[in-house]
Amino acid sequence: MSPVKYVELTRALFSAQGFPPYEWTVNETAPFTPFDKNLEECRVALLSTGGVYIKGKQPPFDPDKNDLTFREIPKDIDVTKLAISHNNYDRTDAEKDVNCVFPIERFRELEAEGYIGQLAPVAYTIMGRIFRRTALQNEMAPEILRRLKEGGVDVFFLVPV
Amino acid sequence: MGLIARRVEEGGIPTISVSSARDVTELVKPPRSVFVNFPLGHTTGKPFDRELQMKIIKDAFDALKSIKTPGTIIDLPYQWEESDDSWEREAEQQAGG
Repeated sequence: MSPVKYVELTRALFSAQGFPPYEWTVNETAPFTPFDKNLEECRVALLSTGGVYIKGKQPPFDPDKNDLTFREIPKDIDVTKLAISHNNYDRTDAEKDVNCVFPIERFRELEAEGYIGQLAPVAYTIMGRIFRRTALQNEMAPEILRRLKEGGVDVFFLVPV
Repeated sequence: MGLIARRVEEGGIPTISVSSARDVTELVKPPRSVFVNFPLGHTTGKPFDRELQMKIIKDAFDALKSIKTPGTIIDLPYQWEESDDSWEREAEQQAGG
């Protein structure tokens, strides 16, 4: 069977709730920065849109949609301290093993085995389902870019959910 | 999500994205992607399956090195269940309802 048609489903869902059908961004081209370094020498930062946050220390995300905030999770976080605030996917498995959507333990292992040079000191988490495209493009994305540059990040690894 | 990857790439940092929604990725076109055809909530694999999680991540890093054409999506070979695609039908019914 062909992959699930999430574009059509989201359009239908918006219509069913009385909104105009959601118009997805359609890009004909993509920006490109050649990757010409050795991964073993790179500092890699991780981002997940799974709605992961630190219980009791960080505010949960709006589990519905359009939360334009992000959290910084220290790379050495004890994963039992993490929780998920996101109503648009089945969290059952990710709540048992957060690595399904936020593979921080795997990235620590990759750092330990020298597969990547270094894991950046913080990983970024957001909540998906952001339909406020302009605010995302003008506010959140540039702020994340600024922090990545400030932190000397060579590669950005993104895990949408 | 794809929009963040695009903005960061524009800013001069190479990105790689793992996607579980192929059609969305086709439209938004992040610079480089691998596609994992799993139910939402399992982008980097099944719970406590360290080996599978690691394979998906390393495949993504391979794609980071190999993709030279902006917007390329590489389909990874992993199947949620060997011979059963019922999760896809269920996902379409739930989300469509």
